[in-house]
Amino acid sequence: MSLFAVTRLEWRRLLVRPLAWVLAALTQAWLAWTFTLLLGGFLASQIQRAALPDGPGLTDLVAVPLLGQLAQLAFLVVPLLSMSLIAGERRNGTLPLMLAAGVPASRIVLGKYLALLGWLLLWLLLTLAMPLALSHATHLDWGKLAAASLGVALMLAALTALGVACSSFASHPAIAAAAALILALALWSVNLGAQMAGINGGAINWLAMSTHVQPLLRGLFSTADVVWFVLLIVLALALATRRLNADRERG
Amino acid sequence: MTLPTDPSVKPILQLDHVSRRRAGRPAVRELTLNLQRGQVLGLLGVNGAGKSTTLSMIAGAMRPDSGSIQLDGSDFLEQPELSRRLVGWLPERAPMWPELTVSEHLDAHGHLRHLRGAALKQARETIIERLELQPLARRLAGVLSQGQRQRLGLACALLHRPALLVLDEPANALDPIQVAALRVLIREQAAAGTAVILSTHLLAEVTAVCDRVAILHDGSLRHEGPVHADDHAALERSFFEIAMNHPTANAA
Repeated sequence: MSLFAVTRLEWRRLLVRPLAWVLAALTQAWLAWTFTLLLGGFLASQIQRAALPDGPGLTDLVAVPLLGQLAQLAFLVVPLLSMSLIAGERRNGTLPLMLAAGVPASRIVLGKYLALLGWLLLWLLLTLAMPLALSHATHLDWGKLAAASLGVALMLAALTALGVACSSFASHPAIAAAAALILALALWSVNLGAQMAGINGGAINWLAMSTHVQPLLRGLFSTADVVWFVLLIVLALALATRRLNADRERG
Repeated sequence: MTLPTDPSVKPILQLDHVSRRRAGRPAVRELTLNLQRGQVLGLLGVNGAGKSTTLSMIAGAMRPDSGSIQLDGSDFLEQPELSRRLVGWLPERAPMWPELTVSEHLDAHGHLRHLRGAALKQARETIIERLELQPLARRLAGVLSQGQRQRLGLACALLHRPALLVLDEPANALDPIQVAALRVLIREQAAAGTAVILSTHLLAEVTAVCDRVAILHDGSLRHEGPVHADDHAALERSFFEIAMNHPTANAA
């Protein structure tokens, strides 16, 4: 009940804040432009590809690259939207109001997380609507598209959890945004050195987010990748909850 | 030392040797207080005396380092969810979500306190009417004046008809007419059986609405007793004697 109340309150706040709408509008415009360019390239190369028996189709050349663009934008969009979730409440002085209403810290964290994740999944759906609009006219590889969508959805979920954790630790929303961006980039490319040295296995590669997103974007589903995302999300939300409980303890 | 209360009546609030440190200093030391339904307790003290820390602990926003708080006979520290039903809190400066309207604020507070549907609608309309918030109902909280914010904060605190009303400097930024209306409201709540605890630096506020007074100084309870409306001078003497003769560590 209180989880739903927190999610509802956060949704309401997201809907009336210009930042969420401005970011959604700008990124959708950018993605629509990218989609047009990708589609133009796809149409231009249709004759050459017709000669290849198992050549790449619309999913490989348009839908997945479009989702890749969205994933890149998420590195900026998610920290900007998540920065105020808890740090903003702390600055407003409204966080104690929620704690005093008997809402457990875990539900405050989870409620806010679900609200922002809901918004981001709508953002993903809106982007997916572009290639899906062509499904009546061409053949889409549904399995590959589903795997790539799941990969991006899991990435959004993980970045949101990181953003919530950073927001819970920061005293100022801007610090939370910067921390979330840096952490997300670090997590994405933590294995860059290992890759350059030609090492493709080991703990450092397992740690990197790119290791778990890229197979999904290629259409390869693995439970191990999903578990990695779930672990990251649980860890980040648990840290945020712990920080909020400390707020109540320390005042 | 505890405030004298009728021993046959179960207190709604019992603080027993509650202590709390903030920023490395003791903010509240060994505070013991009782409050019964229908009583209005004024918490007096200079800045930094520990009033807001005490009220934050009573409201459930902060946990004491030691001691116990009982709400309606139950251990509040073991069951923090008791505050949802029993406590209404107006913090100092009435914090708000600036992007929500007055009406949405009341809905949000109602949802957080598990009110919904017809019950929430009725509670919202009643409190809007009682606090004369109708002209502000669609206005964003971010553009309200400080006095209007105080009224909205008070409405949020009263929405779920709490058994204990915790008010931190409620008369801040209110004009004299609003202060008079606030006094009427507090007495009305007390007459309906709500226990009220309010912090203030204004002695006149205490003599006007409180049955009892507790003077906090440097985190400790230095004086407690009944308030007589015609004995403002005696209260003033006690307050100044405590404030002037015991410089606070926090003010240093």
